[in-house]
Amino acid sequence: MANEKKKTPVVRRRRRQQEMSGFGPLLIVGMALSAFYSIDAVIIMAIGIVPTIVLGFTGKGEFKAEKLQCVGFTNLAGVLPFMVQAKMRGSWESVVGDIINILLMYGSAAIGYALVYVGPMVAAFILQGMNDDRLKKIAAQKQAYVDMWSHEVLGDKEEPDPNAGKNFIR
Amino acid sequence: MSGEIAPVPDTQSAFGDRYEVITGSPLPEFSTRGGDAYSAKDKQKSGGDIYALVHHPSIPIRNEVYKSLKNKPVGNLICPINRGLMNLHLNGRKVQRLVTIFGRPTGGALLSPDGQLNPRVNANRLRANVALSILKAITALHKRGFTHRSIMPHNVYFSTPNSDDVVVGECYSMPPGYMQPFAMEPLDTAIADGTGRGIGDVTSDYYQMGATMSALYFGEEIWKGRNRDSMLMARVNQGSYWALSGGREIPGALGTLIRGLTADEVEERWGAEDVLDWFEGVGKPKRTTMRAWSMNRPTNFKGVAVVDRRLLAHAFARDPAEAANFLKSVDFPSWVQMSFRDEILTDRLESLLNVKPDSGFGGMRSDDYKMVARVCMFLHPTGPIHFKDHSFFLDGIPSMIAEAFSRDDRESLSAIVELLDSKFLQSLADISEMQGVKVGSKMADLRRMMPFAGNKQLGKGMERVLYELNPILPCVSQRFSNVWIGSILQLMRAMERVATNGTIRNVLLDRHLAAFCATHGVDLEREFNNLMAAQHNPAKFNSLSLNFFGLLQQRCKMEALPGLTSKLVDGLTPAVKGLKNKKRREQVQAALEKSKKGGDIAKLVNEVNMVKIQAEDAREFAKARTAVSRLDRERTKLLKKVQPHDPEARKTGLRGSRAVAFAAFFLVGFLTFFG
Repeated sequence: MANEKKKTPVVRRRRRQQEMSGFGPLLIVGMALSAFYSIDAVIIMAIGIVPTIVLGFTGKGEFKAEKLQCVGFTNLAGVLPFMVQAKMRGSWESVVGDIINILLMYGSAAIGYALVYVGPMVAAFILQGMNDDRLKKIAAQKQAYVDMWSHEVLGDKEEPDPNAGKNFIR
Repeated sequence: MSGEIAPVPDTQSAFGDRYEVITGSPLPEFSTRGGDAYSAKDKQKSGGDIYALVHHPSIPIRNEVYKSLKNKPVGNLICPINRGLMNLHLNGRKVQRLVTIFGRPTGGALLSPDGQLNPRVNANRLRANVALSILKAITALHKRGFTHRSIMPHNVYFSTPNSDDVVVGECYSMPPGYMQPFAMEPLDTAIADGTGRGIGDVTSDYYQMGATMSALYFGEEIWKGRNRDSMLMARVNQGSYWALSGGREIPGALGTLIRGLTADEVEERWGAEDVLDWFEGVGKPKRTTMRAWSMNRPTNFKGVAVVDRRLLAHAFARDPAEAANFLKSVDFPSWVQMSFRDEILTDRLESLLNVKPDSGFGGMRSDDYKMVARVCMFLHPTGPIHFKDHSFFLDGIPSMIAEAFSRDDRESLSAIVELLDSKFLQSLADISEMQGVKVGSKMADLRRMMPFAGNKQLGKGMERVLYELNPILPCVSQRFSNVWIGSILQLMRAMERVATNGTIRNVLLDRHLAAFCATHGVDLEREFNNLMAAQHNPAKFNSLSLNFFGLLQQRCKMEALPGLTSKLVDGLTPAVKGLKNKKRREQVQAALEKSKKGGDIAKLVNEVNMVKIQAEDAREFAKARTAVSRLDRERTKLLKKVQPHDPEARKTGLRGSRAVAFAAFFLVGFLTFFG
């Protein structure tokens, strides 16, 4: 009995709930409404938003909803003029027949992907700037406390090295 | 001891200006245990011989006696005329002492301090003048509720060189019976230590009168060269009259008088009426039977067969360890039954005496001393309490404590602390009351002292007991060895002088000073508790010292004390330096410097309440520390470089991108439909 190894308990992890963006149902509703406008336009939309649909099915990880919405909005921005064009021409084949049109619709989705990639980089840059500003303010606040209460307020018994103050701001 | 000795005031008091004490002309015949006598002159009033008694600070005086005799002098008694503090040069050093001026008899002492009999003393004068003069003096004192207790042959004087009138020396400069020779005290009080004989009663004065007459008749110091133990044996076995006279008969009426006055039993001792009857020749011998102090069977203690129970009590008291062993070894109830057949050892008395047989653990225990004390009280109920090599009466404890402090006798003081036990004292009182001697009323003062005695706190302890029981005693701290501190006002002035000439650091930690202040001040105990708690924190201690002196200055409505104020402010330097807030520190320093010059400590305390300021500073500093540590935590968080893959950056970035995408979609849609 004593030699029996204790079995490690099976840890059952709860499956993470999928993020729900609501963008998929919105697209379906949008397509249904577009059908009242024009069937051709709906077909163009269905062909044009394929990159978004693919992302909707294949996308995973954190911020999936944001990514999907980002790609979806740019993709729709690229598809929308061609939907109107298909309605005016009365045939969706003439629009799809021009490969440039397809490239423009899918290109707009690519721009969305680019935004997904660039957005966090830009945000990191901006946040870093904000942090630096806050650090300067903190240093000023601490200096005000030191001026009023001496260095003891920092928890030091002795006066610190004056150069050490530079460390307040990285 | 830290700190310095208080210097003597530069200026002489009004009393000192009026009287001149000629320290180069001592008068040993007027000196007492309480002070040294010197010739004196009254500069304002010529005529009338006076002498000055320079009091010793460690010996309590009888203040009520002074007040009574000064207001209404008594005939045939040296009475005080005036008293006050005076600067004197004694033994090559300048000191401030209490000096009492007395009217001086010029006829000389009846027996000089070196034992020479005044040639004018003879049996006729003793019979015709001395007896009546002494009687007049002591009866007048007794009418005022005082006893003299210092009637000695060299303390009785002819009033003038040619007069037969006799005056008795003063009795106010020391406690009653203080350090009187064994032979000159009645048997019960004589057995007690010289410092703890208590107030006694009027019969003690008559005994002293008789003993004095005896010494004067024989013209010698009858107590000199006599061993205390042999004298005690002689007094117990033959009676004091024969013991004092050394077996010599005093013939005639004088012998009858002395025999009556020196009777050992209080009931048989002559009083004022008996002496007057004797003087008028109508008296008849009162002496009848002696009270039976003898035991029915002698007790062998340390190889000596003792018959008298007073002697047995004394023998037990001389060797309490051996006495304890003896009491444990005997069957106590049987021993009492056999030795005292006339007495019944009741259950209550037996439980009060609480003599337990030897438990076999050996060695002397604290309880054994108490057991011996109880048995001694049972054996000699009119005698003193015998406890731990000390014999004393309850009302003699104040002077005994004063004497123990003057010798710094810690052993005696610890014995008194042990004695001040309510249960023990009550058992002693009960034992003596069961034997018909009342002592209960003497315990009231001692009961009040019990909470102080064993307490180590500042302002309490035996020092407090000393000043509470001897309210007239000056502060006997070594710091004040040169000066006489009889009140808080004098203490404050002495502190001002100390401050002007030196340092007052830690002065309030002086136990004597604290106890004196606590006794003579009102509600100062809380202050001393705070001071004691802060004694290891100089900044707080000095702040509290400032508050304390401010309080005293305000209560005494004193003049400005610039020296003390300056030193107290200097003492606050660590407290001010300890203030964390720089601005506050500068403000407080400026306020202190401003107030320092005024010398008004109370005002300074009102303007700069250091204790409050320190508390406020500490509170705000703690708040600042919390804020700084919060900033530190935030800074640490912000110091980390923000990366695009950081969740925060990703979240913000993606939401931003989504917003851009939506704006593009909205713009394209608008242009498509409305452009």
